[in-house]
Amino acid sequence: MSGERARRAGSASRGRRAAGFALLFAAFMVPAGLAILAGTGSASAGAPPVTRLDAQTALEAAGQVLYEEHCASCHGATGEGTAQGPVILDLGPAAYDFMMSTGRMPLAQPGAQAVRKPPTLTPAEIEAITAYLVTLSPGSGTPIPNVQPLLGNLSEGEQIYQLNCAPCHGANGNGGAVGVQAAPSLHKATPTQIGEAVRIGPGTMPVFDQTVISDQQLNSLARYVLYLRHPANPGGISLHLGGPVVEGFVGLVIGLGAVVLVMRFIGERS
Amino acid sequence: MIVPRLLNWFDERLGAASFAKKSLRKVFPDHWSFMLGEVAMYSFIILVVTGTFLSFFYVPDVRQVIYHGPYKPLDGQPMSAAYASVLRISFEVRAGLVFRQIHHWAALVMTGAVVFHAIRVFFTGAFRKPREINWVLGVVLLLLTIGIGFAGYSLPDDLLSGTGLRIGYSIALSTPVVGTWLAFLVFGGEYPAPDILNRLFVLHVMILPALIAGVMGAHLAIIWRQKHTNFPARDLTNDRIRGPRLWPRYAFASVGLFFVLFGVLALLGGTAQINPIWIYGPYHPITASGASQPDWYMGFTEGAVRLFPGWEIRLFGHEIPEPFFPGALLPGVIFGGMLLWPWIERLFTKDTLEHNLLQHPRDVPWRTAVGAATITFLGVLTIAGASDVLASSVDISVEAMTAILRWVAIVLPAVALFVTYYLCRELRSGDIHPVKESKITTVRRSKTGGFDTTEEEGGGFESVEERLGL
Amino acid sequence: MSDLSETTPQAPGTPPSTRGPDEARVSRLMMLLLLLAILAGVGLLVLYALGGQVQLEGILLFILLTGIGFAFILWGKYLFPTEIVTEDRGERPSPESDRVGAEQAYVEGESQITRRSALVRMLLGAFGALGLAAIFPIRSLGPSPGRALFRTSWRAGLRAVDEAGNPVLASDLVVGSVLTVFPEGHVDSTDSVAILVRVDPAQLSLPDGRDVDAPDGNVCYSKLCTHAGCPVGLYLAEFHQLQCPCHFSAFDVLDGAQPVFGPAARPLPQLPLEVDQEGYLVAKSDFTAPVGPGFWNRGDGP
Repeated sequence: MSGERARRAGSASRGRRAAGFALLFAAFMVPAGLAILAGTGSASAGAPPVTRLDAQTALEAAGQVLYEEHCASCHGATGEGTAQGPVILDLGPAAYDFMMSTGRMPLAQPGAQAVRKPPTLTPAEIEAITAYLVTLSPGSGTPIPNVQPLLGNLSEGEQIYQLNCAPCHGANGNGGAVGVQAAPSLHKATPTQIGEAVRIGPGTMPVFDQTVISDQQLNSLARYVLYLRHPANPGGISLHLGGPVVEGFVGLVIGLGAVVLVMRFIGERS
Repeated sequence: MIVPRLLNWFDERLGAASFAKKSLRKVFPDHWSFMLGEVAMYSFIILVVTGTFLSFFYVPDVRQVIYHGPYKPLDGQPMSAAYASVLRISFEVRAGLVFRQIHHWAALVMTGAVVFHAIRVFFTGAFRKPREINWVLGVVLLLLTIGIGFAGYSLPDDLLSGTGLRIGYSIALSTPVVGTWLAFLVFGGEYPAPDILNRLFVLHVMILPALIAGVMGAHLAIIWRQKHTNFPARDLTNDRIRGPRLWPRYAFASVGLFFVLFGVLALLGGTAQINPIWIYGPYHPITASGASQPDWYMGFTEGAVRLFPGWEIRLFGHEIPEPFFPGALLPGVIFGGMLLWPWIERLFTKDTLEHNLLQHPRDVPWRTAVGAATITFLGVLTIAGASDVLASSVDISVEAMTAILRWVAIVLPAVALFVTYYLCRELRSGDIHPVKESKITTVRRSKTGGFDTTEEEGGGFESVEERLGL
Repeated sequence: MSDLSETTPQAPGTPPSTRGPDEARVSRLMMLLLLLAILAGVGLLVLYALGGQVQLEGILLFILLTGIGFAFILWGKYLFPTEIVTEDRGERPSPESDRVGAEQAYVEGESQITRRSALVRMLLGAFGALGLAAIFPIRSLGPSPGRALFRTSWRAGLRAVDEAGNPVLASDLVVGSVLTVFPEGHVDSTDSVAILVRVDPAQLSLPDGRDVDAPDGNVCYSKLCTHAGCPVGLYLAEFHQLQCPCHFSAFDVLDGAQPVFGPAARPLPQLPLEVDQEGYLVAKSDFTAPVGPGFWNRGDGP
């Protein structure tokens, strides 16, 4: 479901983009021409016509313009993918909204792992592009989940988290290395984004659908993830919940270090 | 008035006055680096004090209970009684969390003090005759300290320490021939064997503290009897000791050090959170958290186990699985080498003289270089124990970081060996050294009347009697 | 062992030319520290009575303890007429007469013993028997390993269930999804824990023709890492790799969980599955190999 992704990171130069457009244009013109000649529908080519007619709403139209500006160069004019970006047809609005609202998309460079960054698209733009993309393959893919953390049970969420999420994201939610990639920190995710990620499995993350984590369990999970942003730290400075690595450093450098300074005060120093 | 009368009372019954006189007037060299051992000892006392308090509340039982305490994210969950008891200490017992955190910080500091103390003794050559026994006792203490620490942090039965215990079981299992029996007998059966928590508790509060106290007592008694070493100084010979007297000066300073150590640990224990077991959750063998590391003094085994490639030996239906090599054989070789070091060194130096004066590390370039290389190796392994944390912080893959660290673990100690050796020689040749001697030639007359000469490098002043072995 | 001692009055740690701060200032500082310590002690009592607070407990303890500590240190360092003493170590090997005497004292007794060699041998034999007898309580510490390491609770016909005990349909998981499963009725059996992964069946190439044991791309492996037994909980869906969070061994799901990175040397044993009449996933047998980390006689087979 996640499709093939180009491994080689290349820089998108203007020349390549222009060449890409030319290629795409040709790719559409050929089957379109064939269709007209053969008198058959577009089913044989698989690529729907680029422009729609009066079935499109204003939002979707705006979305199409934005899509062609920000996304089509990598994902193709109708989401069918290119050498630089995977197919995004049929993914559903959850995937589109997640990728754009966390700032992962648009990617700074094709091929790099998509990481959270401040989104370059406004929420209105994201909504528009999502609406447009949905029209390209209506009814398929994952819908945006309705996540209600306050309806969830914190303790149930903790159990689900430790079994399914902690191996990659860490018991503290700080994220961690996962083979060639990195599971990100969860401390900036909104409840909807948490739900979207769980349901679509972005990047190399596995998918957890309703049979594995039900909608109510998802509420609980989101509630616990939100809790991890400000967990109870009765012991004092939490050291970012960094674990024994940080604790060892503090114990030796600060604890033993302070004592060594006192020893030097007491004793002979030659 | 009270003390002299007490002294008389004891003297009439025990003849204690002469011992008291010698003790109170005892000379104690007080170079600051000599106090590292004291810090280890005082940390131990603090651990016993705080640990006793904790042991009144801890329950060493893996039987499952349902939690309904104040920590809401775990409400209604099944967990071991042990884990629930540590939650209770942390959230419900007055002064529970501060004592628990002081206890854990003290463990980190104690092992650090023991390690740095051992390093000081090694680099200054204090383990040479007549102190080989104490060196051996010291290495034993280091092992016991690491062991008691591992047992201790496994007691809360949380997800982090439970994962480490699982790895310990697998290393025991991997022992050739006896591995399955070793694991089944020590742990009480197939993993997760429920008896292990209670056994770790007995080890941690009874057997290991008793052993540490006993070995430490012998260690101190031997120091008392042999008297402490001295750094070389102007007109200080091998058969003289220099320093302040125990009473009153050294005693006061030492007692003060104890209280300051306790104070620093109390400050850490109250203000710096350590081992937040409620975040890790109760241990379930079917899941584990990413970015899991042991406490720092176990880091070198964790790093070894991560870096060592998947090589196993398989012959005739039997195998020696991979964890045995980095998990058991490597520490065995390292600690075995440490234990035997005085005799290993003697193989090369042929030095059978008694030494009460320390050496400056630069005066023994090859020993200092070997020590530096070993510490570098263990340091790289310790860092490798956190390979995934390191990888994500510099944004490279775990695979790449592992490959890099494998090479670093081999190359860096070799580099340290040569650099340290040449650094020592450089420092010696250029320095104004109070007791530097380039060569000392000793002429000995053997029993049969012949003469032979020996040369040694560096070293401190020694009396003629010492040199002739009288 | 003469006590030839020389005395050098000087403040330790400072060069002889400078004196330390004068005694009055030091004792004033000590009074202040001890006063703060007393206040902190009283503060602690009040704090405990009020219910306690972790950070304040630590800070007040710090003031109390370091106050006392520095008072002692300052006293020792500045307020005593300090003297550095040099004296004989006085430790030589004991005089020859003592050494000979000790040896003689031992030998006198020893000769009486070694004379009666038969008795000595029997005594040693008895001690040997005592030693062996003493070892045997160790045998009580645990059961014999037996075949326990070769078997789990999985049997042919047992359904796969999740942690809550719900059976799993072959159609439940989507491609790219994972689920931790147990044999039905044995949800608490640690060595039986398995991880079910749904992949595109066209991409599977399991060894020994075991593609048939992964119906519709539902392939199931033991969740216990074959390196050191940690649960292999990380699934990199894009690369079809199961990874262990402890030491980062990675296993290729499409290829029979062969280790592709890290210290694991053996693949994760597979649990052969089939689909029953109601569509639930059911085990065909126990795992294809002993689960978990290796051990000496693992090659004996189940």
